Amino acid sequence: MARAATTSDVFNAIAEPRRRQILVLLRSGEMPVTELARELDLPQPGASKHLRVLREVGLVRERRSGKQRLYGIDARGLRSVHEWTGGFEQFWNESFDRLDAYVQELKQEREES
Amino acid sequence: MDSTASSSMSETAEREIVIARRIDAPRELVFEAFTEVRHLSRWWGPDGFTTTTRAFEFRVGGVWDFVMRGPDGTDYPEWISWTEIVAPERIVMLHGEHADDPDAFESVLTFEPEGEATRVEMVTVFPTAQLRDEAIEKFGAIEGGTQTLGSLAAYVERDLREGAEG
Repeated sequence: MARAATTSDVFNAIAEPRRRQILVLLRSGEMPVTELARELDLPQPGASKHLRVLREVGLVRERRSGKQRLYGIDARGLRSVHEWTGGFEQFWNESFDRLDAYVQELKQEREES
Repeated sequence: MDSTASSSMSETAEREIVIARRIDAPRELVFEAFTEVRHLSRWWGPDGFTTTTRAFEFRVGGVWDFVMRGPDGTDYPEWISWTEIVAPERIVMLHGEHADDPDAFESVLTFEPEGEATRVEMVTVFPTAQLRDEAIEKFGAIEGGTQTLGSLAAYVERDLREGAEG
């Protein structure tokens, strides 16, 4: 069966565990491909291939620094993933999670006093 | 979705967002968590967000002027003004970025007892469908830059740990 192109779909791109690993590594800062390959214990061409997919869907950006190319996370690319879950609603759902936890704390304090 | 809200929703459905939650605590207590800054600052905003309050006066016409800071250090100005307060049932507030913000929108919070628990519902009606979409985008951007990455990381880390163990 034909597969949706990973290069055009953020969801497909992050379905691959190695690529999610790359995103986590890049959260701590920019890295050259050599360092990424070492961290992932992958041959460099393999790491490059994953980076290319992540760049094509807009999750990773590339920057030249002297002779090096540095790769960093591009949070804007996560927008479609995020929109799928709903920004405003998620904001409030998470606030309500915290409200719930906090009210439970309050309730316990009041019961104890 | 709440069936009682559906009749009025048909006119405003394109401009509103409804979020509801059941909280296992008495209504008075849940309501109280919305009325004092020492409470609000403990839960307002997603995980990892903090608030710094410049002014706070919980009364009709009063204002909560504060800055919300995301986990990545980005500051978001916030401005809340209450237009209706009926303890412990209902709070109506205007939500913008600053005083007289023309894009401010209104949220109606209702607190209904459900046995020993409370159902909190927040109905936010935006002046236009476009402003609603912009708010989704704005809050989406706030979260997109921080929280979504955090969730993604948590997911990936769990995934990796399970992978390593399994």
